[in-house]
Amino acid sequence: MKKVFCIILSALFAVVSVTCACQARAESAGAFQPRLDTDTSCEITVVGSYSNFEALEAEFDSFNEIYPNVELTYLKPDDYENLLGIVLESSNPPNIFFSFPWMYGNDKYLTAFAHMEDLSDPQLGLDLACIRPNLLRYDADGQLLTVPVFARNYGMLVNNDLFEKEGLQVPTTWEELLAVCEAFLSKGYASPMMGYSAGPSSCLMSILVYPEVVAALADDPEALQAANEMNPAAGECMRTSLESMMQLIESGYINLEKCNEISDNYTQVILRFFEGDVPMMICTGDTVSGTGKRESQSEAFSRHPFTYSFTPIPLSEDGGYFIDSPSIEFSVNKTCDNLDMTNEFMRFLISREELNRMALVKRLVTPTKDLSFSAVYEPFGRVPDERVLCPETIGITDALFVQVRNAAYQVGTGAAGIDEVISQYGSLK
Amino acid sequence: MSRLKTSWIVMANIALMSAILIFVALYSNYEKKDNYRSHVEHFVNALIAMEQVTGNYLEGEQRICDNWAQYINSQDMTLEEATAYIRATHANSDTSAHVIDTETLTGYSTRPKLNSTENYDVSYARMELFGDGAWIAELGEAINITRTYTNPMNGEQSLAFCNRIAVQDTENGGKKQAYLLRIVPVSNLEKKWVFPKEEYGEEEFSIIDKDGNYVIRGRSFKSNSFFEFYKSYNQPGITVQNQLFSDILSGTGSFTMQDSKGRECIAAYTPITSTKGWVLLSVAPISNLNAVTENWLLIGVISFGLLLLLVMDFLYMHSVNKKLRVMAREAEAANRAKTDFLSTMSHDIRTPMNAIIGLTTIAEKNLGDQEAVADNLRKISLAGNHLLTLINDILDISKVESGKLNLSPINFSIVETVENLVNLSQPMVKEKNIVFSFRTNRMEKEYLYADQLRLNQIYISILSNAIKYTMPGGRVSVDLKEEKSEKEGCVKLIYRVEDTGIGMSPAFLEKMYQPFSRQTDSRVNSIQGTGLGLAITKQMVELMNGTIECQSELEKGTTFTITLDLPVADKQLEEMRIDNVEALIADDDPILLETAVDTLASMGIHADPANTGLEALEMIRRRHEAGKDYNVIILDWKMPDPDGIETIRRIRKEIDASVPILLTSAYDWSDIEEKAKEAGANGFISKPLFRSGLYEKISMLLGMEAKAVEPTEDYSDLAGMNILIAEDNDINWEIISTMLSMFGITSERAENGRICTEKMAEAKEGDYDLIFMDIQMPEMNGLDATRHIRKLENRWAASIPIIAMTADAFSENVAECLQVGMNGHIAKPVDLKLVIKEIRRIKEEKK
Repeated sequence: MKKVFCIILSALFAVVSVTCACQARAESAGAFQPRLDTDTSCEITVVGSYSNFEALEAEFDSFNEIYPNVELTYLKPDDYENLLGIVLESSNPPNIFFSFPWMYGNDKYLTAFAHMEDLSDPQLGLDLACIRPNLLRYDADGQLLTVPVFARNYGMLVNNDLFEKEGLQVPTTWEELLAVCEAFLSKGYASPMMGYSAGPSSCLMSILVYPEVVAALADDPEALQAANEMNPAAGECMRTSLESMMQLIESGYINLEKCNEISDNYTQVILRFFEGDVPMMICTGDTVSGTGKRESQSEAFSRHPFTYSFTPIPLSEDGGYFIDSPSIEFSVNKTCDNLDMTNEFMRFLISREELNRMALVKRLVTPTKDLSFSAVYEPFGRVPDERVLCPETIGITDALFVQVRNAAYQVGTGAAGIDEVISQYGSLK
Repeated sequence: MSRLKTSWIVMANIALMSAILIFVALYSNYEKKDNYRSHVEHFVNALIAMEQVTGNYLEGEQRICDNWAQYINSQDMTLEEATAYIRATHANSDTSAHVIDTETLTGYSTRPKLNSTENYDVSYARMELFGDGAWIAELGEAINITRTYTNPMNGEQSLAFCNRIAVQDTENGGKKQAYLLRIVPVSNLEKKWVFPKEEYGEEEFSIIDKDGNYVIRGRSFKSNSFFEFYKSYNQPGITVQNQLFSDILSGTGSFTMQDSKGRECIAAYTPITSTKGWVLLSVAPISNLNAVTENWLLIGVISFGLLLLLVMDFLYMHSVNKKLRVMAREAEAANRAKTDFLSTMSHDIRTPMNAIIGLTTIAEKNLGDQEAVADNLRKISLAGNHLLTLINDILDISKVESGKLNLSPINFSIVETVENLVNLSQPMVKEKNIVFSFRTNRMEKEYLYADQLRLNQIYISILSNAIKYTMPGGRVSVDLKEEKSEKEGCVKLIYRVEDTGIGMSPAFLEKMYQPFSRQTDSRVNSIQGTGLGLAITKQMVELMNGTIECQSELEKGTTFTITLDLPVADKQLEEMRIDNVEALIADDDPILLETAVDTLASMGIHADPANTGLEALEMIRRRHEAGKDYNVIILDWKMPDPDGIETIRRIRKEIDASVPILLTSAYDWSDIEEKAKEAGANGFISKPLFRSGLYEKISMLLGMEAKAVEPTEDYSDLAGMNILIAEDNDINWEIISTMLSMFGITSERAENGRICTEKMAEAKEGDYDLIFMDIQMPEMNGLDATRHIRKLENRWAASIPIIAMTADAFSENVAECLQVGMNGHIAKPVDLKLVIKEIRRIKEEKK
């Protein structure tokens, strides 16, 4: 009887195992159905401005599970911004290349745009519906030449454990921010808010001011036009945010002396935050992307790890803004070799699962509609739609951004006053 | 206990097997590690060899650049002139050269910019390629190579071999420094740097600079820097990591790491000595280096072998244990059977012994009452006979169980056997008033070759049981058929005994062949029996390769069928034919009637059958009236109305007083002999009707010569014989001598074998007619005595017939007696008839 029972159990186990295996395979296969011969052998090269792109290389490995003979390589050409055109024209042109929002309207990139394939073609089968509509930029002909793979935003890294330890809540309004900063200050924290301040690029000042300026221009087309035209009269749009910034600095909530010790706007920002004594570190999403890899490189964090997240900076009474802008976009070189397989890879990559996975690895903001999968960026998923602003959609140019950045940096460092920079708008260096 | 031992043996086996497997696994693991070390060493050595090839190649390329620089330095050339010179001397289309002002990082290319035919201007101003340029050694001192960079003229990933040169400063006069770059596309190098495919199919290598950045990057190497690649997929901690990076940049070695697919890899590194800080790196999955499966195969085979051995051992032990358990059970059963046997035997022996002793005591006390003594003696005789039967059965069953029951085939007459069977059954049939019939069907072969004694025993046992267990007034019928046998030279005898007795229950049917099994029935208890008969019978039937079948139903009766294939004796009766004779045969048994007609026909006699006496009378009358009287008339005694005697009487009275009439009966006809003769019967013939019997009787009646000789009650032929009896037991001597004296035979006694021998040695011819020799005697046993006698010089004495008369009744005893030269064997207790028969046989043989 026992023997019979054991045989029946074994048989059942085998059947269940086989069924589950088949089911798992079916589910796995259901995620992506290859359209080409999976034995196809070819090479695909992606070029971009990232020195390292492990997230994309992980996608290469996943794609190789389906197409094992496709050799995928990521390369960073030197002087990407200037040599992209010539690289695309070279004897070994890349299949896919990074494109950026600021390339639009810049004649330097005409060659690049000439090589871009229209990715809106339904035949290609890209899952564009999974991407936040604000981030998709169609040209006048209705072509989609660039597809975002990461988004950029501005905010602050929050040491959640520190807040919990001090019995404080992460602020969501300007008043709460001031109160929290005051509380931390009173508890002996030398600089409740910190950030990179040694140079204008990605400095804390511009990160504080820019979202408010975007919000101010979003509802004022005339001011926006003037600002884009570098009209000094448009400088007023910066006043409120510059004043807020100065209030934080002058209140001692941002100690610039401490901030100036941070020698670069990326690694050192992260490592300083990992020291564990900074409640709020002002930075861009690009900087946040380096946190994952550097956790193990920080001895302090390794000794005392803590939870952290990236949240909007509430510089107004209604909270902060989610400045949702494409960070990196992919374009397909329509004159490359193996275009079919290149499009097949894009079809594989441009899906909610793969884009989210890549964002998770890279720790950048995903361009998809689902932000909940990332504990770090999850607070941005809770920002109401009306406070999600896309500068590219609004029509903010790169030159406008540079003026705001310079103004904020100069005011923040004390190099110029608020009135001064407002009056010099359009010519700030 | 045995189970415990088995467990220990199995555990010991498993322990031994585990020990061997552990040893093999450890040894295999050691071999694997050794093999792995060897592979790693080989891998590193291959890398070192590659480094030498790489170094040679780089030196070659650098040498070209050096030559250009040397020439340019020796001339007073401007940037343009230097470029033009190289352009003119450099024919290789894959490579190009740039001459760059160290101040402005701009200059000229030997090849025009992509998509241009005239633009030779090149700028490195936005590339961090040269740094302060201090890394470029003096001419001819070292190989100066840039990292992989993007050639600004054509966008290709390239390397550049560099030299610092001095060119004319056209603006300020004098000389100014410039960089001379000999540019080689990385794709060109990758084609040249290939690992030996037959050994390292999937391995790739990279060259890194002193910062870990790739100069040349293999496909499986990720990130822009090997150090970044390592950090991305391995987290050893900062200290270990920094130490590792330091080791990589300072020497040759290997380490393990995980690649982007999570595979455990071995990475080997060695510095390219001809460069400043470049390192040649190779990474390969450990599984590729360690792809030696032979050891696992070895372990697998050994494991399987040991497992097989264990299973076989276990099965063998299990089998042996099973057999031992069976044997133990059998031994136990045998022991129990022995105890039961002794108990049963004790009981069964004591019962008749009790009768014998008790009745003897009673007889002694009633010596004056002759009638009572006679009755006691009769009962003692019955009890004695039963005791003898019991002992014989015990001996038989003992022989059966010990496998010593041997057959002693002889030529014999089946007719005699049947006659004997009928004769033996008559007293009981008569006593119980049982309706008895015995039919034979065309017994063609009268003489057969088999163990007559055992055949008799089988037939008697079955028949006597039928009679015993049939109530008075019941019916017992026997059919003996001869059929063709499938065995060559044999006939198939089918012996079927059917009774209307008490029958047997299904439960008893299942065990009826077991010794001492008797049905538990109040009616059976009153019937004497040992419970051994059927067991012996079955064994004997099987010994004779026959079958025994039984159908029985309680209260209705039993039918036993025994089928035996018996060889036909070489010797058969001469052809018995009585031609031109017409007969009438009357019997109420249609089957017997039919078989009798057949038998008569086979003899040449035409016989008309009649089913009743009246029908016979009518047929005889008709033939008589037609003047064609039957030559002989055969009538059954027990026909219903009128019976055989009455029919004879009426034939004699009403039809013919002279026609020969034979009366047949399956019963003992001694009681009716007188009456039948008075009625007019001319002779009697017992059923079943055999050809030989019919021939003999009919021949006799018709005045022909009969071949058979009827035994006679005349013992005068024995009178005057003198027999020497070797017997040590006084009583036995007395019994036999007294018995013999009843037939006028004199006897002399020899108390043992030695005396017997002496007497024979001294005897004169004719002193003794034969010797009855006991076997077990003091001083000299019967066998030795016989041997001595057979060796006597006196030929008469040496050839005197010697009959063993012994209680050693087994067949092997008989055989032994014959072997030493005896002429026969009589078992004790002696059967007087048998003794007389033996004496007569000896006497006949003497003639």
